[in-house]
Amino acid sequence: MGATIEIRNLTKRYGDVLALDDLSLTVHPGEFLVLLGPSGCGKTTLLRSLSGLETPDEGEIVIDDRVLFSSERGIRVAPGLRQIGMVFQSYALWPHMKVKDNIGFGLRVQKFPQSEIEARVEKILNELSMDGLGERYPSELSGGQQQRIALARLIATKPPVFLMDEPLSNLDARLRLDMRAELKRFHYDSDATTVFVTHDQTEAMTMASQIVIMNEGRIQQTAAPLDIYRHPANLFVAEFIGMPRINLLNAELDADAGSPVARISDFIVPLAWKPPVTELVVAARPEDVTLLTAPDEKALEFRVRALLPSGPELIIQLTRGDQTVVVRETRQMDLAMDQTVWIQFDSTALNLYDRRDGTMLRPEAGLPGRTTGPETTEGLAQQPQV
Amino acid sequence: MSNSAMESHRHPRVILERWFNQTKTLLMTPQIVISGILMVVLTYLIVVPLLQMTWRTLTWGEGDRRFSRQAVTGEMTGFHWEQAVSGPTSEAFLYEPLINTMITGTLAAVFALSLGAGLAWLVTRTDMPGKGWLRPTLILPYIVPSFALALAWETLFKSPQTGGQPGLFQYLFDVAPPTWLSFGAVPIVITMSIHYFPFAFLMISGALSTVDSQLEECAELMGASRWTVLRKITFPIVGPAILGAAVLTFGKTIGTFALPYLLGRPVEYQTLATMLFSSVSLGFTALGYILSLVLIVITVIVIWISARLLGGNLRRFETIGGKGFKANLTRLGVWKWPLFGMVCFIAFIAAIFPIGLLGYQTLMMVDGNYGFDNLTLHYWLGRSNPDIARGEPGVLHNTVILGDTWNTLRLAFLASILSSLVGLIIGYIVVRGRAGLVSRTLDQISFLPFLIPGIAFAAMYLGMFAVQRGPIPALYGTFALIVLICVVNRLPYSTRTGAAAVTQIGQELEEAAELQGASWVRRFWRVILPLSTGGVVAGMLVSFIGIMRELSLIILLITPSTRVLMTVGFRYAEEDQTQLTNALVMLVTVLTLLGQALVWQLGKGRLRRLKDRQID
Repeated sequence: MGATIEIRNLTKRYGDVLALDDLSLTVHPGEFLVLLGPSGCGKTTLLRSLSGLETPDEGEIVIDDRVLFSSERGIRVAPGLRQIGMVFQSYALWPHMKVKDNIGFGLRVQKFPQSEIEARVEKILNELSMDGLGERYPSELSGGQQQRIALARLIATKPPVFLMDEPLSNLDARLRLDMRAELKRFHYDSDATTVFVTHDQTEAMTMASQIVIMNEGRIQQTAAPLDIYRHPANLFVAEFIGMPRINLLNAELDADAGSPVARISDFIVPLAWKPPVTELVVAARPEDVTLLTAPDEKALEFRVRALLPSGPELIIQLTRGDQTVVVRETRQMDLAMDQTVWIQFDSTALNLYDRRDGTMLRPEAGLPGRTTGPETTEGLAQQPQV
Repeated sequence: MSNSAMESHRHPRVILERWFNQTKTLLMTPQIVISGILMVVLTYLIVVPLLQMTWRTLTWGEGDRRFSRQAVTGEMTGFHWEQAVSGPTSEAFLYEPLINTMITGTLAAVFALSLGAGLAWLVTRTDMPGKGWLRPTLILPYIVPSFALALAWETLFKSPQTGGQPGLFQYLFDVAPPTWLSFGAVPIVITMSIHYFPFAFLMISGALSTVDSQLEECAELMGASRWTVLRKITFPIVGPAILGAAVLTFGKTIGTFALPYLLGRPVEYQTLATMLFSSVSLGFTALGYILSLVLIVITVIVIWISARLLGGNLRRFETIGGKGFKANLTRLGVWKWPLFGMVCFIAFIAAIFPIGLLGYQTLMMVDGNYGFDNLTLHYWLGRSNPDIARGEPGVLHNTVILGDTWNTLRLAFLASILSSLVGLIIGYIVVRGRAGLVSRTLDQISFLPFLIPGIAFAAMYLGMFAVQRGPIPALYGTFALIVLICVVNRLPYSTRTGAAAVTQIGQELEEAAELQGASWVRRFWRVILPLSTGGVVAGMLVSFIGIMRELSLIILLITPSTRVLMTVGFRYAEEDQTQLTNALVMLVTVLTLLGQALVWQLGKGRLRRLKDRQID
């Protein structure tokens, strides 16, 4: 069974740069938690702090009530004693050892009898369908096989926590897809609490049970993948998640109208509820925009700037003055460049943000999903490009 | 963090617990403990001797009563410096050797550099034939002891006028060579140039082979002339390497001891290094130390100036190497064969002829008679005969010499292994310490021996280990001291080799082992050491060869029980036992060549494969 990881008020500085900024997080047993963010956001620092390869400046790390790190009490348990397994970006297979010695290394360190080491290595190789590769050297294996050896080495000592640092980034695109499925199965079978670092949002969306989005050493949002997609906690997350990017439009709350509406230049979008502030940013995923080829009084007129068909779907870039909107269509449509079209927003799918601090605005009742965000997000209220 | 948390942070019990836990963690981290130990040991072995030597020049020592009746052992005095700088003997003891050193050192460095650079260009960047065997042959003069070249010169040009038997020159032409040709500045400069040009050759051809010829071709396509290309493209790229080679060559020439000693002594031509040896041997310790300091200061100034010129740090020109590009070779055209002939001639004069002459000389029953009827194997295989060589048996029958050979091999083996191992550990701390204070300090301390000429180093250790100090016994006269000084002297090289080897090992490889619970010692043994074997073994062999022909570093510290081949040869040379001297030098040369051949073989074969396996 996996372990519970408690991270409390972790801070790490590199000179003047705050890699981790008073960061707290709980990972539940058996969870597949993905740390996602742009490069330099602190995700790898957090992972390395968990493993003990990096020493934070402040805070506490507790796994299953065992204090592994505490700046206040001066505790720093050595990486080897933390019962944590890790897969590195480069796999870090020892090139001078045979595959079976790579896998059995940890067991040998723990002074298991030779016969048991051999039996266990044999079993693991069999489970990962790599029988007969034990006598090879890592350089004699393909990228995918090396990846699997790294996993085999990870599970040999049965640690209750797995850490993975972008383990798929060295594989080619097709192999990466296969390995995603395999890793997911691997996690399900082992049931260990897994923390996985990536900068690839598709990887995060497809694999995680929980996603933690980080930026500048702080957590922006912790939620299940679909919640993050549907209800980004702030403008940073909204822009970071989703391909193509979410449409962000500056809007004013029209207080005079009977029912709440948001005014985007000369165009009005009806709102499902009344937000508490008037300066808004309206966010609509490309698939939540409906495209009409005929004029409609509740629709806004745009011009087709580019058509990007990809097979199952069609991405359409529209312009109106200096505004750009991207629409995703799965219907078969016959459009031409520079054609005039009209768009409508699905008001139930819209998210509203406070333009001053970039946080998401919610109706009183709240929305589904275990969603937590930072208390303040000053400084990251980026002005949407409207 | 809330206020109450801040309060609990300062609670004495919490502070005590934190302090206790942090200390425990530190003491449980072997890297930190080892860094600490190394810091203390290296400080004691390098920094303390330097300071102590300096201190000795400022105080009265035992036995200084003979210079002045006011001498009180241990009290400070300016006497030694005053005597050295402005005393009646200062001219002979300081200024003349200083001037001689600068003249011979500078001239030899300039010649060695020009010759080395020209040959490097011809051998790496042109279509000259015969490169395969020219390259190793041209390196030969540097592989043999500098000593050997001095002996070969003597064999060629000595004459009864200046002492000893007639040399080959007189035998052939029946005219005594002029004294300036036999001994003094001219032969010193020529032989030193021959000994050190391969060094410049190696460094510069390393740099030249990294110059991508596309850079030059590009300039040529844009209409630049050959000369412009050489001046504007090639030279700026290899310039730092040439400057580096110049500095290192000069550092070596001014510190060379045996060569100027043999070729200068008969005509009282002294350099700083030979004067240093004489004064320490005669018991003028303080004067010897002052000369050491002068040598060190010259080296430091030169390195400092060149570092300023380069605008970078010292590291930049220590080793220049790396993979060569596919370089297009310059066509020599009609000059091809004349130049080839010239290079062959140089290889013959500098490498083949001196060694051949020395070998032939060892076969002469009576020195000075070069006829075939005078040939004998006595000096190699003969039994003791009171009529020949004061009854010394042939080298290969001499149990004492066989013992010395064993000593030589033992010394070279032990010192090169220890030095490589310590160098690897320091290199590890330097690389993995991420430029922390400890790792930077270790890096700099281990570089210091580089600035101290061997003979000055020995003088330092002589003072340091002559008597027992605290728990450290008087090591003078022990084999351990000889090993120790060789290890410390090689540290600047072995640390660089170690650091380069560790840099090539991905940190993740080690972290993976750490996470699997492997202790530091185990990680070092199972991951770092096996993966750095390639570079470290190569470095070790280079050290092995260097130590085997080392003389100036150990000559002051050797006692009859710790003799090695080079020092025995040196003693024979002092006694004018020319055939035996030459036989010993030949023996060392053969052993060194075997070692070098091993380096080349390893470089081509197994090590290369091992390196290939180090993917990532």
